[in-house]
Amino acid sequence: MPALRRSDWYDLARDLNWNLSYVTEDEAFPEVMSNNYGITPNEKWWGWDEPYKVSYREYVHNQHGKDASVYSVNSVIARSRMFEELDPGWKSAIVAHYGAIAVPEYLAGLGESRMGRFGRAAAWRNMALFGTLDETRHGQIQTYFPYTLLDKEPRMDWAHKALHTNEWGAIAARHLFDDMFTANDAVSTAIQLTFTFETGFTNLQFLGMAADAMEVGDLDFGALISSIQTDESRHAQQGEPTVKILVENGYADVAQRLVDHMFWRSWHVFALLTGLSMDYYTPLEHRSHSFKEFMQEWIVKQFLDQFRDFGLEPSWYWESHFLPELDWYHHALHLGVWFWRPTVWWNPDAGVSPAEREWLEEKYPGWNDTFGVYWDTIGDNLRRGEETKTLPETFPMVCNMCQIPVVTPAGFRAGKLESPEPQIHIHEGRQYVFCSEPCKWVFQLNPARFAGHTSVVDRFLGGEIQPPTIPGALEWMGLSPEEMGQDATNYAWAFEGFEAPGAAAS
Amino acid sequence: MALFPIQGIYQDDFVVLLVPIDTEDPMTVVAEKIAHHAAGVRVPPASGELRIKYQGELLDPEATVVDAGVPPLGVLQAVAE
Repeated sequence: MPALRRSDWYDLARDLNWNLSYVTEDEAFPEVMSNNYGITPNEKWWGWDEPYKVSYREYVHNQHGKDASVYSVNSVIARSRMFEELDPGWKSAIVAHYGAIAVPEYLAGLGESRMGRFGRAAAWRNMALFGTLDETRHGQIQTYFPYTLLDKEPRMDWAHKALHTNEWGAIAARHLFDDMFTANDAVSTAIQLTFTFETGFTNLQFLGMAADAMEVGDLDFGALISSIQTDESRHAQQGEPTVKILVENGYADVAQRLVDHMFWRSWHVFALLTGLSMDYYTPLEHRSHSFKEFMQEWIVKQFLDQFRDFGLEPSWYWESHFLPELDWYHHALHLGVWFWRPTVWWNPDAGVSPAEREWLEEKYPGWNDTFGVYWDTIGDNLRRGEETKTLPETFPMVCNMCQIPVVTPAGFRAGKLESPEPQIHIHEGRQYVFCSEPCKWVFQLNPARFAGHTSVVDRFLGGEIQPPTIPGALEWMGLSPEEMGQDATNYAWAFEGFEAPGAAAS
Repeated sequence: MALFPIQGIYQDDFVVLLVPIDTEDPMTVVAEKIAHHAAGVRVPPASGELRIKYQGELLDPEATVVDAGVPPLGVLQAVAE
């Protein structure tokens, strides 16, 4: 047993701050690595204090225990038939999850290590070291686990592959995460990654996903996500002290802008991944709440509390754009992902059987009139044996900020937008297309940061995709025929209440 | 004659599409080319004559994108009259 309690020595050992004499503050903390937003001298940052403290010795002990536990679960379950017996929609959700998240977790280690070197207080750098180790672990474990399932689902290798391809969803994830942490300075990373994305979204999402995994019987994924979540909740706390320093020094507007920027971007990718999983891929009998209910009860409530606690305001787009999108945006994305299913590495589950449609109508009154009608036409085509009519012959336009297809016509049809047309913006002679006013606003905050990027459609029109056809694009995205997404239930949903699947093909 | 990309929106569809047309296509053909990707695919075919709306105005059915001054990736809506 240590002779001293942690509280007797922790602050003294942790706060190794000192005044620089051999180099200037700017040389030690270049703005590109650590934007102080005008808060100088650096001593003003030394009051940074994390609420939950841990020593290195405790950290290693805890992490060793977590790894021993979760890898044991994986080892046992790998020898069982558990995965084969999971619902097809749930399998799709985790194949999508691993591809979108495993490598970004590893990349988050870059953001954490940048804070570990360029954080402006020793306490912060100390906490970011743990964060670096956390994210390295998360990258490794979320690559290892899917790889143990390769013999059952070969596309589990997209856990490593996805972020190294030009697949459109991978580009969307890369664009977001590069902005958030891979290519962000330490101060902005603390607010945009740890405060906005982790505290605001993923920490709560992982709690929900772990519960859902256990509910559907996926003990492997449940144990994995629970283990990761405990790390997230610790290193995510780097955001709060950083926001406090900005606010205390009169820079609440900076904190507000950083949060507003990244909340919107996180929301769109969150809707794409989590919205589809919760409302369409999770088996109906295991859904405890709708995506909208989850957003309202967890994400929205927590953000409003945070805004109030830190003297910030709800984002300018909160009432006008964000809350209305809860009713329609992810439904449109789901329809698009399903229709363009060859372009994703998982099998989208339509999730619109009669019972599921009843649930959707109950959770989203009016869903049948706004979204059910599309599925009616698609279902008719499938029942007539015209599968080709349910597959794409061209591309959707893609937003030049979130890199997600532009579904403004769905928002217009749902009565939430005044026009079906996208936002158009000309910058230095180039036309940019945005799916929403907030995406355009994020671009306008810092055009130099975003202007050089080209969307999938820009690259297609620029001749980078050859041949310039759907098959050419699929190959460019790294998708072989065996990897392309197919309907998760082989269209069973379209025939429920009609006739047996396959009859239409005769 | 030259291939010309536009952003097409078919009435009541949910997504903005990249639609390749020809610079010589009259708007009646442009409307058909937009409809091809959505009518009877995701939404029932609209009843009535299809017209093209650009920047809030209905274009002459015989006009081409050149006549109407539509730039590459201009947003054209196919709507039923």
